[in-house]
Amino acid sequence: MSRKIVAISGKRLSLSNLEKDLYPSYGFTKAQILEYYRRISKFILPHLKDRALTFKRYPDGVEKDFFFEKRCPSHRPVWVKTAEVRTEDGERKNVCLVNDLETLMWVANLASLELHVPLARASSPETPDCMVFDLDPSDGADILDCARVALILHDLLSELKLANYVKTSGKKGLHVYVPLNSRETTFQETKHFSKAVADIVQKNYPDLVTAKMSKVYRKARVFINWSQNDSSKTMICVYSLRALERPIVSFPLAWNELERLTSEDDPKKLQVMSLDAVGRIENEGELFREVLIKKQRLTRL
Amino acid sequence: MKARDPVKVSSKSSPVMGKGVSSRGIWSGTLSFSLVAIPVHLVKAVEPGRVSFRMLHRKDYSPLKTRMFCPEEETIVPPDEIVRGYEIAHDSYILITDEELESVTPERSRTIEIIEFIDAKEIDPIYYDHPYYLVPSKGGEKAYCLLAEAMRQTHRAGLAKFVLSEREHLVVVKSTEGALAVITLHYGEEILPKESISAKEEVEDEEKNHIKKKIRKMMTDFDPEKYADERRKKILTILKSKVKEQAPVEAPEIEEEGRTGPADLVATLRESMRKVKKKR
Repeated sequence: MSRKIVAISGKRLSLSNLEKDLYPSYGFTKAQILEYYRRISKFILPHLKDRALTFKRYPDGVEKDFFFEKRCPSHRPVWVKTAEVRTEDGERKNVCLVNDLETLMWVANLASLELHVPLARASSPETPDCMVFDLDPSDGADILDCARVALILHDLLSELKLANYVKTSGKKGLHVYVPLNSRETTFQETKHFSKAVADIVQKNYPDLVTAKMSKVYRKARVFINWSQNDSSKTMICVYSLRALERPIVSFPLAWNELERLTSEDDPKKLQVMSLDAVGRIENEGELFREVLIKKQRLTRL
Repeated sequence: MKARDPVKVSSKSSPVMGKGVSSRGIWSGTLSFSLVAIPVHLVKAVEPGRVSFRMLHRKDYSPLKTRMFCPEEETIVPPDEIVRGYEIAHDSYILITDEELESVTPERSRTIEIIEFIDAKEIDPIYYDHPYYLVPSKGGEKAYCLLAEAMRQTHRAGLAKFVLSEREHLVVVKSTEGALAVITLHYGEEILPKESISAKEEVEDEEKNHIKKKIRKMMTDFDPEKYADERRKKILTILKSKVKEQAPVEAPEIEEEGRTGPADLVATLRESMRKVKKKR
Protein backbone atom coordinates (compact mmCIF):
# COMPACT_ATOMS: atom_id res chain seq x y z
CA MET A 1 0.00 0.00 0.00
CA SER A 2 1.41 3.36 -0.97
CA ARG A 3 1.29 6.07 1.67
CA LYS A 4 1.89 9.76 1.69
CA ILE A 5 2.02 11.96 4.76
CA VAL A 6 0.65 15.47 4.37
CA ALA A 7 0.16 18.31 6.84
CA ILE A 8 -3.00 20.45 6.77
CA SER A 9 -3.16 23.39 9.18
CA GLY A 10 -0.31 21.75 11.07
CA LYS A 11 -2.18 18.44 11.41
CA ARG A 12 -0.56 15.31 10.04
CA LEU A 13 -2.62 13.03 7.87
CA SER A 14 -1.56 9.84 6.17
CA LEU A 15 -3.10 9.38 2.72
CA SER A 16 -3.13 5.93 1.17
CA ASN A 17 -3.44 4.45 -2.33
CA LEU A 18 -3.85 7.81 -4.04
CA GLU A 19 -3.40 6.25 -7.47
CA LYS A 20 -6.26 3.76 -6.96
CA ASP A 21 -9.05 4.24 -9.51
CA LEU A 22 -12.33 4.24 -7.57
CA TYR A 23 -14.54 4.97 -10.64
CA PRO A 24 -12.91 2.41 -12.95
CA SER A 25 -15.26 2.64 -15.93
CA TYR A 26 -14.88 6.44 -16.00
CA GLY A 27 -11.38 6.83 -14.56
CA PHE A 28 -11.32 8.88 -11.37
CA THR A 29 -8.61 8.15 -8.84
CA LYS A 30 -8.55 8.68 -5.11
CA ALA A 31 -6.19 11.59 -5.67
CA GLN A 32 -8.83 13.22 -7.91
CA ILE A 33 -11.52 12.55 -5.30
CA LEU A 34 -9.41 14.23 -2.60
CA GLU A 35 -8.73 17.11 -4.98
CA TYR A 36 -12.47 17.51 -5.65
CA TYR A 37 -13.30 17.62 -1.95
CA ARG A 38 -10.39 20.01 -1.31
CA ARG A 39 -11.59 22.45 -3.97
CA ILE A 40 -15.26 22.22 -2.91
CA SER A 41 -14.43 22.31 0.83
CA LYS A 42 -15.19 26.01 1.24
CA PHE A 43 -18.75 25.36 0.02
CA ILE A 44 -19.51 21.90 1.43
CA LEU A 45 -18.07 22.36 4.94
CA PRO A 46 -20.82 24.75 6.18
CA HIS A 47 -23.40 22.10 5.19
CA LEU A 48 -21.53 19.31 7.02
CA LYS A 49 -20.66 21.37 10.08
CA ASP A 50 -21.76 19.96 13.46
CA ARG A 51 -23.77 17.16 11.87
CA ALA A 52 -23.30 13.45 12.56
CA LEU A 53 -21.63 12.07 9.44
CA THR A 54 -22.69 8.72 8.03
CA PHE A 55 -19.80 7.32 6.02
CA LYS A 56 -20.63 5.34 2.92
CA ARG A 57 -17.33 3.71 2.10
CA TYR A 58 -16.23 2.12 -1.17
CA PRO A 59 -12.78 0.77 -0.31
CA ASP A 60 -12.54 -1.04 -3.66
CA GLY A 61 -14.34 1.50 -5.80
CA VAL A 62 -17.92 2.14 -6.91
CA GLU A 63 -18.29 -1.20 -8.66
CA LYS A 64 -17.46 -3.20 -5.54
CA ASP A 65 -19.10 -3.57 -2.15
CA PHE A 66 -19.67 -0.61 0.12
CA PHE A 67 -20.49 -0.31 3.78
CA PHE A 68 -22.11 2.29 5.97
CA GLU A 69 -20.36 3.50 9.09
CA LYS A 70 -22.29 5.64 11.56
CA ARG A 71 -19.90 5.43 14.49
CA CYS A 72 -16.75 7.51 14.29
CA PRO A 73 -14.04 4.85 13.75
CA SER A 74 -11.82 4.35 16.79
CA HIS A 75 -8.71 4.62 14.57
CA ARG A 76 -9.50 8.31 13.89
CA PRO A 77 -6.77 10.92 14.34
CA VAL A 78 -6.92 12.67 17.73
CA TRP A 79 -7.92 15.98 16.12
CA VAL A 80 -11.15 14.69 14.56
CA LYS A 81 -14.09 16.29 16.37
CA THR A 82 -16.80 13.96 17.60
CA ALA A 83 -20.16 14.23 19.32
CA GLU A 84 -22.12 11.76 21.33
CA VAL A 85 -25.57 11.00 19.99
CA ARG A 86 -28.26 8.52 20.90
CA THR A 87 -29.85 6.03 18.62
CA GLU A 88 -33.58 5.29 18.74
CA ASP A 89 -33.13 2.37 21.10
CA GLY A 90 -31.19 4.45 23.61
CA GLU A 91 -27.68 3.37 22.60
CA ARG A 92 -25.03 6.05 22.83
CA LYS A 93 -22.47 6.37 20.11
CA ASN A 94 -19.72 8.68 19.01
CA VAL A 95 -20.11 10.26 15.60
CA CYS A 96 -17.70 12.31 13.49
CA LEU A 97 -18.27 16.01 12.84
CA VAL A 98 -16.71 17.20 9.60
CA ASN A 99 -15.96 20.78 10.58
CA ASP A 100 -12.66 21.43 8.84
CA LEU A 101 -10.64 20.64 5.75
CA GLU A 102 -8.35 18.14 7.48
CA THR A 103 -11.30 16.04 8.66
CA LEU A 104 -12.88 16.19 5.20
CA MET A 105 -9.60 14.94 3.69
CA TRP A 106 -9.38 12.16 6.26
CA VAL A 107 -12.97 11.10 5.48
CA ALA A 108 -12.35 11.14 1.72
CA ASN A 109 -9.15 9.15 2.22
CA LEU A 110 -11.28 6.40 3.85
CA ALA A 111 -13.00 6.13 0.44
CA SER A 112 -16.20 7.51 1.91
CA LEU A 113 -17.27 8.85 -1.47
CA GLU A 114 -20.78 9.71 -0.30
CA LEU A 115 -21.32 11.97 2.69
CA HIS A 116 -24.73 11.59 4.35
CA VAL A 117 -25.91 13.88 7.16
CA PRO A 118 -29.08 14.31 9.23
CA LEU A 119 -31.33 17.37 8.92
CA ALA A 120 -30.49 18.39 12.50
CA ARG A 121 -27.22 19.25 14.19
CA ALA A 122 -25.70 16.77 16.63
CA SER A 123 -26.22 19.16 19.55
CA SER A 124 -29.96 19.51 18.89
CA PRO A 125 -30.96 16.23 17.25
CA GLU A 126 -34.71 16.76 17.60
CA THR A 127 -34.96 20.15 15.89
CA PRO A 128 -34.35 20.09 12.14
CA ASP A 129 -32.78 23.07 10.39
CA CYS A 130 -34.94 22.46 7.36
CA MET A 131 -37.84 20.48 5.97
CA VAL A 132 -37.17 18.30 2.98
CA PHE A 133 -39.11 16.64 0.17
CA ASP A 134 -37.16 13.75 -1.30
CA LEU A 135 -38.48 13.16 -4.82
CA ASP A 136 -37.83 9.64 -5.92
CA PRO A 137 -38.89 8.37 -9.38
CA SER A 138 -40.08 4.77 -9.60
CA ASP A 139 -39.34 2.56 -12.60
CA GLY A 140 -40.79 4.14 -15.69
CA ALA A 141 -40.51 7.68 -14.29
CA ASP A 142 -37.31 9.72 -14.53
CA ILE A 143 -35.64 12.84 -13.23
CA LEU A 144 -37.75 14.99 -15.60
CA ASP A 145 -40.90 13.72 -13.89
CA CYS A 146 -39.23 14.62 -10.59
CA ALA A 147 -38.54 18.08 -11.97
CA ARG A 148 -42.22 18.53 -12.87
CA VAL A 149 -43.23 17.59 -9.31
CA ALA A 150 -40.50 19.82 -7.87
CA LEU A 151 -41.87 22.80 -9.85
CA ILE A 152 -45.38 22.14 -8.49
CA LEU A 153 -43.96 21.93 -4.96
CA HIS A 154 -42.04 25.15 -5.58
CA ASP A 155 -45.22 27.00 -6.59
CA LEU A 156 -47.19 25.59 -3.69
CA LEU A 157 -44.54 26.35 -1.06
CA SER A 158 -44.06 29.83 -2.51
CA GLU A 159 -47.83 30.40 -2.21
CA LEU A 160 -47.40 29.48 1.45
CA LYS A 161 -44.66 32.15 1.68
CA LEU A 162 -41.97 29.56 2.33
CA ALA A 163 -38.69 30.06 0.48
CA ASN A 164 -37.53 26.76 -0.98
CA TYR A 165 -34.49 25.43 -2.82
CA VAL A 166 -33.80 22.42 -5.01
CA LYS A 167 -30.80 20.21 -5.60
CA THR A 168 -30.18 17.09 -7.63
CA SER A 169 -29.70 13.94 -5.61
CA GLY A 170 -26.86 13.07 -8.00
CA LYS A 171 -28.76 9.87 -8.82
CA LYS A 172 -32.26 9.91 -10.31
CA GLY A 173 -34.05 12.19 -7.88
CA LEU A 174 -34.38 15.76 -6.69
CA HIS A 175 -34.48 17.18 -3.17
CA VAL A 176 -36.55 20.24 -2.28
CA TYR A 177 -35.42 22.00 0.92
CA VAL A 178 -37.36 24.49 3.02
CA PRO A 179 -35.01 26.26 5.46
CA LEU A 180 -36.27 26.75 9.02
CA ASN A 181 -33.19 27.47 11.15
CA SER A 182 -35.18 28.05 14.29
CA ARG A 183 -34.86 25.78 17.26
CA GLU A 184 -38.62 25.67 17.83
CA THR A 185 -39.73 23.47 14.94
CA THR A 186 -39.61 19.75 15.69
CA PHE A 187 -39.37 16.74 13.40
CA GLN A 188 -42.90 15.86 14.37
CA GLU A 189 -44.04 19.17 12.89
CA THR A 190 -41.98 18.96 9.70
CA LYS A 191 -43.08 15.36 9.15
CA HIS A 192 -46.66 16.32 9.65
CA PHE A 193 -46.47 19.40 7.43
CA SER A 194 -44.57 17.65 4.64
CA LYS A 195 -47.03 14.75 4.67
CA ALA A 196 -49.98 17.14 4.32
CA VAL A 197 -48.21 18.83 1.40
CA ALA A 198 -47.37 15.49 -0.25
CA ASP A 199 -50.96 14.31 0.16
CA ILE A 200 -52.50 17.36 -1.45
CA VAL A 201 -50.08 17.33 -4.38
CA GLN A 202 -50.83 13.67 -4.90
CA LYS A 203 -54.57 14.29 -4.78
CA ASN A 204 -54.27 16.97 -7.45
CA TYR A 205 -51.74 15.20 -9.68
CA PRO A 206 -52.57 11.50 -9.19
CA ASP A 207 -50.97 10.42 -12.47
CA LEU A 208 -47.66 12.02 -11.63
CA VAL A 209 -47.30 11.71 -7.89
CA THR A 210 -47.63 9.31 -5.03
CA ALA A 211 -47.13 10.00 -1.35
CA LYS A 212 -47.42 6.38 -0.31
CA MET A 213 -44.44 4.31 0.74
CA SER A 214 -45.75 1.11 -0.78
CA LYS A 215 -44.12 0.22 -4.11
CA VAL A 216 -47.52 -0.91 -5.41
CA TYR A 217 -48.61 2.73 -5.63
CA ARG A 218 -45.37 3.90 -7.16
CA LYS A 219 -45.65 2.55 -10.69
CA ALA A 220 -44.19 5.11 -13.10
CA ARG A 221 -44.78 7.90 -10.65
CA VAL A 222 -42.75 10.22 -8.50
CA PHE A 223 -42.80 9.37 -4.83
CA ILE A 224 -42.75 12.42 -2.56
CA ASN A 225 -40.88 10.95 0.36
CA TRP A 226 -41.87 13.12 3.31
CA SER A 227 -40.71 10.55 5.87
CA GLN A 228 -37.12 11.74 5.51
CA ASN A 229 -38.14 14.44 8.00
CA ASP A 230 -37.03 12.30 10.90
CA SER A 231 -34.19 12.48 13.40
CA SER A 232 -33.04 8.98 12.44
CA LYS A 233 -32.81 9.71 8.68
CA THR A 234 -29.95 11.20 6.70
CA MET A 235 -29.79 12.97 3.34
CA ILE A 236 -26.91 13.08 0.87
CA CYS A 237 -25.09 16.34 1.58
CA VAL A 238 -25.19 18.99 -1.12
CA TYR A 239 -21.93 18.84 -3.20
CA SER A 240 -21.23 15.24 -2.09
CA LEU A 241 -20.04 12.83 -4.76
CA ARG A 242 -22.28 9.89 -5.61
CA ALA A 243 -21.01 6.39 -6.16
CA LEU A 244 -22.24 5.82 -9.69
CA GLU A 245 -20.36 5.00 -12.86
CA ARG A 246 -19.35 8.63 -13.26
CA PRO A 247 -18.37 11.06 -10.48
CA ILE A 248 -21.65 12.99 -10.40
CA VAL A 249 -22.44 15.26 -7.43
CA SER A 250 -25.57 16.35 -5.62
CA PHE A 251 -25.87 19.94 -6.82
CA PRO A 252 -28.27 22.88 -6.36
CA LEU A 253 -30.16 24.31 -9.34
CA ALA A 254 -31.87 27.69 -9.62
CA TRP A 255 -35.65 27.32 -10.09
CA ASN A 256 -35.66 29.11 -13.45
CA GLU A 257 -32.81 26.87 -14.59
CA LEU A 258 -34.78 23.78 -13.57
CA GLU A 259 -37.80 25.14 -15.45
CA ARG A 260 -35.67 25.68 -18.58
CA LEU A 261 -33.91 22.29 -18.40
CA THR A 262 -37.24 20.53 -17.88
CA SER A 263 -38.64 22.09 -21.06
CA GLU A 264 -35.55 20.88 -22.96
CA ASP A 265 -36.56 17.34 -22.08
CA ASP A 266 -33.03 15.93 -21.71
CA PRO A 267 -32.55 14.18 -18.37
CA LYS A 268 -28.75 14.18 -18.75
CA LYS A 269 -28.60 17.97 -18.61
CA LEU A 270 -29.86 17.86 -15.03
CA GLN A 271 -26.75 16.08 -13.76
CA VAL A 272 -23.67 17.97 -12.63
CA MET A 273 -20.22 16.40 -12.88
CA SER A 274 -17.71 16.96 -10.09
CA LEU A 275 -15.30 18.57 -12.55
CA ASP A 276 -17.82 21.34 -13.34
CA ALA A 277 -19.02 21.91 -9.78
CA VAL A 278 -16.54 24.46 -8.46
CA GLY A 279 -16.61 26.50 -11.67
CA ARG A 280 -20.40 26.65 -11.58
CA ILE A 281 -20.45 27.85 -7.96
CA GLU A 282 -17.90 30.52 -8.79
CA ASN A 283 -20.06 31.74 -11.70
CA GLU A 284 -23.55 31.32 -10.27
CA GLY A 285 -22.94 31.63 -6.54
CA GLU A 286 -23.57 29.13 -3.78
CA LEU A 287 -27.28 28.51 -4.38
CA PHE A 288 -27.75 26.41 -1.24
CA ARG A 289 -26.27 28.95 1.18
CA GLU A 290 -29.72 30.31 2.05
CA VAL A 291 -30.75 26.85 3.28
CA LEU A 292 -28.34 27.36 6.19
CA ILE A 293 -29.25 30.97 6.89
CA LYS A 294 -32.87 31.78 6.12
CA LYS A 295 -35.11 31.69 9.19
CA GLN A 296 -38.69 30.61 8.52
CA ARG A 297 -41.60 29.15 10.43
CA LEU A 298 -44.10 26.68 9.11
CA THR A 299 -47.41 28.36 8.40
CA ARG A 300 -50.08 28.01 11.07
CA LEU A 301 -49.33 24.66 12.61
CA MET B 1 -21.41 -43.74 9.26
CA LYS B 2 -20.16 -41.14 6.83
CA ALA B 3 -19.41 -37.78 8.44
CA ARG B 4 -21.54 -35.04 6.89
CA ASP B 5 -21.11 -31.32 6.80
CA PRO B 6 -23.32 -29.41 9.21
CA VAL B 7 -24.02 -26.80 6.55
CA LYS B 8 -27.31 -27.46 4.83
CA VAL B 9 -27.01 -27.32 1.06
CA SER B 10 -30.31 -27.00 -0.68
CA SER B 11 -29.43 -27.23 -4.35
CA LYS B 12 -27.42 -29.93 -6.04
CA SER B 13 -25.10 -27.41 -7.61
CA SER B 14 -22.39 -25.65 -5.65
CA PRO B 15 -23.98 -23.58 -2.89
CA VAL B 16 -21.90 -20.56 -3.83
CA MET B 17 -22.34 -20.49 -7.57
CA GLY B 18 -25.97 -21.64 -7.40
CA LYS B 19 -28.85 -19.25 -7.63
CA GLY B 20 -29.97 -19.73 -4.03
CA VAL B 21 -27.28 -17.53 -2.54
CA SER B 22 -27.60 -13.77 -2.62
CA SER B 23 -24.49 -12.00 -3.82
CA ARG B 24 -24.92 -9.11 -1.39
CA GLY B 25 -22.05 -9.63 1.04
CA ILE B 26 -22.14 -9.00 4.77
CA TRP B 27 -18.42 -8.43 4.65
CA SER B 28 -15.77 -8.28 1.97
CA GLY B 29 -12.01 -8.56 2.22
CA THR B 30 -9.32 -11.17 1.67
CA LEU B 31 -8.88 -14.75 2.72
CA SER B 32 -5.17 -15.34 3.22
CA PHE B 33 -2.52 -17.73 4.45
CA SER B 34 1.21 -17.73 3.95
CA LEU B 35 1.61 -15.95 0.57
CA VAL B 36 -1.87 -16.62 -0.80
CA ALA B 37 -4.47 -13.82 -0.76
CA ILE B 38 -7.93 -14.40 -2.25
CA PRO B 39 -10.47 -11.55 -2.55
CA VAL B 40 -13.75 -12.83 -1.11
CA HIS B 41 -17.01 -11.76 0.41
CA LEU B 42 -19.08 -13.35 3.10
CA VAL B 43 -22.74 -14.26 2.67
CA LYS B 44 -25.27 -15.89 4.98
CA ALA B 45 -25.52 -19.66 4.81
CA VAL B 46 -28.70 -20.07 6.85
CA GLU B 47 -31.86 -18.07 7.25
CA PRO B 48 -33.90 -19.12 10.26
CA GLY B 49 -37.42 -19.79 9.05
CA ARG B 50 -39.25 -18.33 11.99
CA VAL B 51 -42.50 -16.56 11.09
CA SER B 52 -42.55 -13.33 13.07
CA PHE B 53 -45.52 -11.17 13.94
CA ARG B 54 -45.98 -7.52 14.82
CA MET B 55 -47.90 -6.73 18.00
CA LEU B 56 -50.83 -4.40 17.22
CA HIS B 57 -53.19 -2.35 19.33
CA ARG B 58 -56.56 -4.07 18.97
CA LYS B 59 -58.44 -0.74 18.92
CA ASP B 60 -56.91 0.74 15.77
CA TYR B 61 -54.19 -1.74 14.68
CA SER B 62 -51.35 0.68 15.42
CA PRO B 63 -48.08 -1.26 15.62
CA LEU B 64 -46.85 -1.24 19.22
CA LYS B 65 -43.35 -0.31 20.34
CA THR B 66 -41.34 -1.52 23.28
CA ARG B 67 -40.24 1.07 25.77
CA MET B 68 -37.99 0.91 28.82
CA PHE B 69 -40.25 0.93 31.85
CA CYS B 70 -39.26 1.66 35.44
CA PRO B 71 -41.51 -0.39 37.74
CA GLU B 72 -40.33 1.68 40.72
CA GLU B 73 -41.63 4.99 39.36
CA GLU B 74 -44.19 3.40 37.02
CA THR B 75 -42.94 5.51 34.15
CA ILE B 76 -41.27 5.16 30.77
CA VAL B 77 -37.57 5.97 31.04
CA PRO B 78 -36.06 8.22 28.33
CA PRO B 79 -32.80 7.08 26.65
CA ASP B 80 -30.65 9.71 28.38
CA GLU B 81 -31.54 8.25 31.77
CA ILE B 82 -30.47 4.72 30.87
CA VAL B 83 -27.05 3.29 31.87
CA ARG B 84 -25.60 -0.22 31.76
CA GLY B 85 -24.99 -2.30 34.88
CA TYR B 86 -23.44 -5.74 35.35
CA GLU B 87 -25.33 -7.69 38.00
CA ILE B 88 -22.92 -9.06 40.61
CA ALA B 89 -25.58 -9.99 43.14
CA HIS B 90 -29.28 -9.42 43.52
CA ASP B 91 -29.91 -5.62 43.21
CA SER B 92 -26.17 -4.95 43.12
CA TYR B 93 -24.49 -3.73 39.93
CA ILE B 94 -21.17 -2.53 38.56
CA LEU B 95 -21.70 0.36 36.11
CA ILE B 96 -19.98 0.34 32.74
CA THR B 97 -19.94 3.16 30.18
CA ASP B 98 -20.25 2.98 26.41
CA GLU B 99 -16.74 4.41 26.15
CA GLU B 100 -15.36 1.56 28.24
CA LEU B 101 -17.12 -0.95 26.03
CA GLU B 102 -15.99 0.82 22.88
CA SER B 103 -12.37 0.81 24.11
CA VAL B 104 -12.32 -3.00 24.00
CA THR B 105 -14.14 -3.32 20.68
CA PRO B 106 -11.73 -4.77 18.12
CA GLU B 107 -10.98 -3.12 14.77
CA ARG B 108 -12.95 -4.42 11.83
CA SER B 109 -11.02 -7.18 10.03
CA ARG B 110 -9.93 -6.66 6.44
CA THR B 111 -8.65 -10.23 6.15
CA ILE B 112 -9.49 -13.71 7.31
CA GLU B 113 -5.96 -14.91 8.00
CA ILE B 114 -5.68 -18.66 8.39
CA ILE B 115 -3.19 -19.26 11.22
CA GLU B 116 -3.19 -23.04 11.22
CA PHE B 117 -4.67 -26.01 9.43
CA ILE B 118 -6.25 -28.93 11.23
CA ASP B 119 -8.03 -32.13 10.36
CA ALA B 120 -11.65 -31.11 9.67
CA LYS B 121 -12.97 -34.11 11.62
CA GLU B 122 -11.20 -33.01 14.78
CA ILE B 123 -13.70 -30.29 15.64
CA ASP B 124 -16.50 -31.52 17.84
CA PRO B 125 -19.74 -30.12 16.27
CA ILE B 126 -20.63 -28.73 19.68
CA TYR B 127 -18.16 -25.90 18.89
CA TYR B 128 -20.03 -24.83 15.74
CA ASP B 129 -21.90 -21.57 16.20
CA HIS B 130 -22.96 -19.88 12.95
CA PRO B 131 -22.21 -20.80 9.31
CA TYR B 132 -21.50 -18.47 6.37
CA TYR B 133 -20.33 -19.00 2.82
CA LEU B 134 -17.29 -17.36 1.30
CA VAL B 135 -17.84 -16.21 -2.28
CA PRO B 136 -14.88 -15.34 -4.53
CA SER B 137 -14.78 -11.65 -5.53
CA LYS B 138 -13.67 -10.58 -9.00
CA GLY B 139 -10.22 -11.96 -9.80
CA GLY B 140 -10.25 -14.48 -6.96
CA GLU B 141 -12.18 -17.28 -8.66
CA LYS B 142 -9.23 -19.46 -9.66
CA ALA B 143 -7.34 -19.34 -6.37
CA TYR B 144 -10.63 -19.90 -4.55
CA CYS B 145 -11.43 -23.08 -6.49
CA LEU B 146 -7.88 -24.36 -6.03
CA LEU B 147 -8.00 -23.89 -2.27
CA ALA B 148 -11.51 -25.34 -1.93
CA GLU B 149 -10.49 -28.40 -3.96
CA ALA B 150 -7.20 -28.93 -2.09
CA MET B 151 -8.96 -28.69 1.25
CA ARG B 152 -11.71 -31.06 0.15
CA GLN B 153 -9.23 -33.73 -1.00
CA THR B 154 -7.11 -33.52 2.14
CA HIS B 155 -10.02 -33.07 4.57
CA ARG B 156 -8.27 -30.08 6.06
CA ALA B 157 -9.83 -27.06 7.68
CA GLY B 158 -8.21 -23.71 8.46
CA LEU B 159 -8.46 -21.86 11.76
CA ALA B 160 -8.59 -18.06 11.73
CA LYS B 161 -9.44 -15.12 13.93
CA PHE B 162 -11.98 -12.76 12.45
CA VAL B 163 -13.87 -9.70 13.67
CA LEU B 164 -17.53 -9.69 12.70
CA SER B 165 -20.08 -7.25 14.19
CA GLU B 166 -17.64 -5.85 16.74
CA ARG B 167 -16.64 -9.20 18.19
CA GLU B 168 -13.55 -11.27 17.51
CA HIS B 169 -14.47 -14.82 16.59
CA LEU B 170 -12.47 -17.97 16.22
CA VAL B 171 -13.62 -19.35 12.87
CA VAL B 172 -13.01 -22.47 10.87
CA VAL B 173 -12.68 -22.26 7.09
CA LYS B 174 -13.70 -25.50 5.47
CA SER B 175 -14.56 -26.92 2.10
CA THR B 176 -18.15 -27.92 1.52
CA GLU B 177 -19.31 -29.32 -1.84
CA GLY B 178 -16.95 -27.23 -3.93
CA ALA B 179 -17.33 -24.04 -1.89
CA LEU B 180 -15.65 -22.60 1.15
CA ALA B 181 -17.65 -22.08 4.30
CA VAL B 182 -16.72 -20.05 7.34
CA ILE B 183 -18.20 -21.24 10.61
CA THR B 184 -17.81 -19.21 13.77
CA LEU B 185 -16.80 -21.40 16.69
CA HIS B 186 -17.61 -21.13 20.34
CA TYR B 187 -14.57 -20.40 22.47
CA GLY B 188 -13.54 -23.26 24.75
CA GLU B 189 -14.73 -21.39 27.81
CA GLU B 190 -18.26 -21.20 26.42
CA ILE B 191 -18.59 -24.98 26.27
CA LEU B 192 -20.13 -26.29 29.49
CA PRO B 193 -18.31 -29.13 31.27
CA LYS B 194 -19.85 -32.47 30.51
CA GLU B 195 -18.36 -34.46 33.44
CA SER B 196 -21.49 -33.86 35.44
CA ILE B 197 -23.64 -35.71 32.90
CA SER B 198 -21.43 -38.57 31.69
CA ALA B 199 -22.70 -41.68 33.45
CA LYS B 200 -20.15 -44.20 34.72
CA GLU B 201 -22.26 -47.33 35.04
CA GLU B 202 -20.89 -50.84 34.40
CA VAL B 203 -22.68 -52.48 31.45
CA GLU B 204 -22.78 -56.08 30.25
CA ASP B 205 -21.43 -56.88 26.78
CA GLU B 206 -24.67 -58.64 25.94
CA GLU B 207 -26.71 -55.54 26.69
CA LYS B 208 -24.34 -53.42 24.64
CA ASN B 209 -24.63 -55.70 21.60
CA HIS B 210 -28.38 -55.66 21.89
CA ILE B 211 -28.43 -51.86 21.69
CA LYS B 212 -25.91 -51.80 18.82
CA LYS B 213 -28.12 -54.18 16.84
CA LYS B 214 -31.16 -51.99 17.35
CA ILE B 215 -29.24 -48.94 16.17
CA ARG B 216 -27.97 -50.76 13.10
CA LYS B 217 -31.54 -51.64 12.13
CA MET B 218 -32.51 -47.96 12.10
CA MET B 219 -29.46 -46.80 10.10
CA THR B 220 -29.99 -44.61 7.02
CA ASP B 221 -28.26 -41.71 5.23
CA PHE B 222 -28.62 -38.19 6.58
CA ASP B 223 -31.24 -36.43 4.45
CA PRO B 224 -32.36 -33.12 5.91
CA GLU B 225 -34.85 -32.65 3.05
CA LYS B 226 -37.04 -35.28 4.72
CA TYR B 227 -37.75 -32.99 7.65
CA ALA B 228 -39.47 -29.63 7.81
CA ASP B 229 -40.73 -27.26 10.45
CA GLU B 230 -44.35 -28.42 10.49
CA ARG B 231 -45.61 -25.54 12.63
CA ARG B 232 -44.10 -22.99 10.26
CA LYS B 233 -45.69 -24.72 7.26
CA LYS B 234 -49.09 -24.68 8.94
CA ILE B 235 -48.82 -21.01 9.93
CA LEU B 236 -47.92 -20.06 6.35
CA THR B 237 -50.89 -22.06 5.03
CA ILE B 238 -53.21 -20.22 7.40
CA LEU B 239 -51.74 -16.84 6.37
CA LYS B 240 -52.01 -17.63 2.66
CA SER B 241 -55.68 -18.55 2.91
CA LYS B 242 -56.37 -15.47 5.05
CA VAL B 243 -54.80 -13.15 2.48
CA LYS B 244 -57.20 -14.56 -0.12
CA GLU B 245 -60.28 -14.46 2.08
CA GLN B 246 -60.07 -11.16 3.86
CA ALA B 247 -58.69 -7.67 3.40
CA PRO B 248 -55.77 -6.81 5.71
CA VAL B 249 -56.43 -4.41 8.59
CA GLU B 250 -54.73 -1.02 8.18
CA ALA B 251 -52.88 0.97 10.80
CA PRO B 252 -53.69 4.70 11.01
CA GLU B 253 -51.20 6.69 8.94
CA ILE B 254 -50.10 9.21 11.55
CA GLU B 255 -49.98 8.01 15.09
CA GLU B 256 -50.51 11.20 17.07
CA GLU B 257 -52.91 13.50 15.27
CA GLY B 258 -55.11 11.25 13.23
CA ARG B 259 -55.38 11.21 9.48
CA THR B 260 -55.58 14.74 8.20
CA GLY B 261 -53.90 17.11 10.65
CA PRO B 262 -55.14 20.47 11.86
CA ALA B 263 -57.95 21.82 9.74
CA ASP B 264 -56.37 25.21 9.06
CA LEU B 265 -53.21 23.68 7.55
CA VAL B 266 -55.24 21.55 5.20
CA ALA B 267 -57.50 24.49 4.33
CA THR B 268 -54.48 26.71 3.64
CA LEU B 269 -52.95 24.04 1.46
CA ARG B 270 -56.16 23.58 -0.52
CA GLU B 271 -56.44 27.28 -1.13
CA SER B 272 -52.82 27.53 -2.29
CA MET B 273 -53.14 24.44 -4.43
CA ARG B 274 -56.06 25.99 -6.28
CA LYS B 275 -53.93 28.99 -7.19
CA VAL B 276 -51.06 26.76 -8.29
CA LYS B 277 -53.31 24.71 -10.55
CA LYS B 278 -54.52 27.83 -12.33
CA LYS B 279 -50.90 28.56 -13.23
CA ARG B 280 -49.82 25.07 -14.32
